Amino acid sequence: MRALVTGANGFLGRHVVEALLARGIEVRAMVRPAARVAALGWPSSVEVFRGDLRTSRNLTRAFEGVDVLLHLAAMVGGGEDAQFAGTVVGTERLLDAMADSACRRLVLSSSFTVYDYGSIRRTLDEDSPLFQISNVYTRDGYTIAKWWQERVTRRFAEKHGWDLTVLRPGILWGRDHSYMAGLGERIGRHYLVIGPLSRLPLTHVENCADVFAVAATDARARGQTLNVVDGPGERVWTYLTDYMRGSRQPGWRLPVPYWLGIGVVRLAFITVFRSATKLPATLIPRRFESRFRPLHYENRRLRETFGWTPPLDYQQCLVRTYGPMVVPGKQTATSSQTDHVQGTANESGDQKEAASAFLLQQPQ
Amino acid sequence: MDRHDWGAGPDSGALPPSDPGEHLLKAALIGAGQIARQHITCLKTLAGVDLVAICDLSPATAEAAAERYDIGAWFTDHRAMLEKIRPDVVHVTTPPTSHFRLALESLDAGAHVIVEKPVTSTAEELATLVKRAQEAGRHLVEDHNYLFNRAPQEILRRIESGEFGAVTHVEVLICLDILGPGGFADPNAPHPALSLAGGAIADFLPHLASLAHLFVGPHRTAQTIWTKRKSSPLPYDEFRALVDAERGTASMGFSASSQPDAFWLRVYGEKMQATANLFETRLTFDGPRDVPKPLRPFFSGLEEGKIIRRAALATLLGKFKGPGAYEGLWELIARTYRALADQSALPVTAGDILEVNRMVEALKPKEPRL
Repeated sequence: MRALVTGANGFLGRHVVEALLARGIEVRAMVRPAARVAALGWPSSVEVFRGDLRTSRNLTRAFEGVDVLLHLAAMVGGGEDAQFAGTVVGTERLLDAMADSACRRLVLSSSFTVYDYGSIRRTLDEDSPLFQISNVYTRDGYTIAKWWQERVTRRFAEKHGWDLTVLRPGILWGRDHSYMAGLGERIGRHYLVIGPLSRLPLTHVENCADVFAVAATDARARGQTLNVVDGPGERVWTYLTDYMRGSRQPGWRLPVPYWLGIGVVRLAFITVFRSATKLPATLIPRRFESRFRPLHYENRRLRETFGWTPPLDYQQCLVRTYGPMVVPGKQTATSSQTDHVQGTANESGDQKEAASAFLLQQPQ
Repeated sequence: MDRHDWGAGPDSGALPPSDPGEHLLKAALIGAGQIARQHITCLKTLAGVDLVAICDLSPATAEAAAERYDIGAWFTDHRAMLEKIRPDVVHVTTPPTSHFRLALESLDAGAHVIVEKPVTSTAEELATLVKRAQEAGRHLVEDHNYLFNRAPQEILRRIESGEFGAVTHVEVLICLDILGPGGFADPNAPHPALSLAGGAIADFLPHLASLAHLFVGPHRTAQTIWTKRKSSPLPYDEFRALVDAERGTASMGFSASSQPDAFWLRVYGEKMQATANLFETRLTFDGPRDVPKPLRPFFSGLEEGKIIRRAALATLLGKFKGPGAYEGLWELIARTYRALADQSALPVTAGDILEVNRMVEALKPKEPRL
C-alpha cells in the first residue's frame, strides 16, 4: 500500500509519515519546493515529492501508484486571502489531479474550527452544528479556509465517488507547539487565564498521527467524519501550569471566569466596537466564544469505530513535549496492529517512569 | 456521510436575479483575490451601481466571494460572464500579465474597464488597449489609487488655490518589506509580478510615477539605479530615480530594507512644503508664518507635533474600520462611476494613463538581471 501525504514536513505531517511507516505503508511525502527535509530523519524508503499546491503543474504525477491520499496541507499563516489560496485553491488543484488518477481513497485533515461554537450547548461532538454560509464569513481567515477546504473535498468525493474520511483534530500539541490561544491572553510573561477550569480539546500530535494512520488503512473509516481528541481534555489551568513548568517560563497567572470575560467583550462590542470591521479576535464575541467557551469534548465515535485509545497518555505526552528528544526510529515501530498495541503497552510503562522523573525535576 | 448541509452551490454561470434596475450601472469583476476585496467592498457602498457577477479561475474563490458579498452570479470563465451578464463596467483585478487580454476582451464586449496597476506589461499592449477603447467608445481606467488619498488631494487643493505656490520638486519613496517568505519573495510559488521587468518593484512603479506625474507632469528624462541588497528570489530590492519633468523635478524610490514600512510623499512648492505618509493619515505643511523668522521653526514644530498626534489617532481608528490606506481606491472608483453616470470627465483619463506609463517605461531597468 502506498500513501501520498501532503504537508508531510509539517507539525502533524512528519508524525503521520512516521506512523504510516510503522504500519509498513510506503510513503510519498509531498513537501514544498524549498522545504528542508534532511533533518526529519526519514528513511530512504520515503519518496519525497516536491510541489506547491498553489502553482505546481505536475501534481498528477504525485498520484502515480498511490492507493490513499492523506491531505494535511493547509496555510496556517499569512492574510485571509493567502490562507484561502493556499488551503482551498490548493485543495482544488490537488483534487483535480487526483481525479485524473486511479486513487479513490482520501483522508482529509479538517479541524474543530468548522464547528459553530456559539451554537453548541454542552458537548462538542460530530453532531454539533457547523458554520453555515450565513455566518462563516464573520470568522477569521483560517476558519473560512478550513471550512471551505472540507466543503470542496466533500464535493469532489461525491462527484467522483471517492471513499472519504474526514478527521477533525482538536487542538494539536507537542514539542515546540505547546502554547495555544485557548490558554488566554499572554501579556509578556504573564497570563490572563480566561475560564481556568474549562477543558481543552487536546490531541497530542503523536496520538493524532496514529489516528490518521489507522484511518488510512482501516476500511471502517470510509465515509466517516471523526473528531480527534485524546479524551475529555485537560483543564486550562492544569495545562498552563505544565506548560510554564515544561517550557521553564515562570510568570503570574490571573484567572478570569469565562462569563466575566464574555460579558465584558459583549458590552464593549455593543457600546464601542459594533461598527468596527477590523477588530482583534478577542474583542469579537463570536471569536471569543470559539476560543474560550467551556464545553465538553469526547472521542466516543473514534473509539467505537476503531476501538482506538490514545497510544500516549497525558503524562507521556508531557515527556514527549518537554522532556528529552525522542530520536525517530528509536520509538516503537511495528508493522502489524498486534505488534503496535504490544509496543505501546511496553512503551507506556517506560514513559510513565520518565514522566514521573521529569515532573519531579521541574521547579514547583 | 456527514449529516450537515455543505451547500451544493449555484451552477457556474448562473444568471443573477432579473432586472436590477435600468438606471443602475452593472459591474462585474474578473479576479477575486486580495485587491478584489477592496473593489467589492467599495462597490457595495455606491448608489447607482449593481455588482452583478464575479469571475475567478478557482470555483471556490469565485463562489466564496459571491456568497460573502451577496453577488448574484459567479463564473470561472470570463468569456461566459461577459456574454451572459453584459456588464457596463468590468474591473480587472487579476495578476498583471493577464490584464491586457482580459481588458481587451472586456472592451470588445462593450464594457468600460477599470484595471488594476500596472495596466499592462508593455507599452505596446497599452497602446493597443487605448486604441481599442477609443474605437469602441468605451473608457479605460488604470488604478492610480494613491492620487485620491486625502493627503495628495489636500496638497492639490492648496496648489490650485495658489497658497502652495508652484511645485518645484516632488519626492516619492516607498519603504516596504517585500522580502518575507509569504509574499513577493515566496521561494515555493513565484509571485506573478516577478515576470515583470524590475520584478516585484515594477508592481509599485505606477504608484510612484502617477504621484510624480500628478505634481510635476510628464517626464522629459529619467535616470535610474536598480540594485539588490539582500539574497532573495527578487531580481532587485532597491530602486532610485531622478526625473526631469515638464513642471519640475521628481525623485522616486523603493526600499525593501528600510524600516518601518512607509509611503513618503514630499512636495516642495515656492511658498510651502508638504509631507505625507500615505500608509497612514499623516499630512503636515510647513510654510510662512506671521511670526519673527527665528521663531518660525518653533511654532512650526508645535503645530506639526499636534497634527502628527491627531493623525496617529486617526490611523489607529482607521485600523478598526474602513478602507485604511485604500481610501484613494474607494474615492477613485466612486468618482469613476459618477463620471460614467454623468458622462463627465473621468478622474483618470487615457492621456494620464499613457503619460504615467511612458514614465514607468523610462523607469524600468534597461537590462534583465540574471
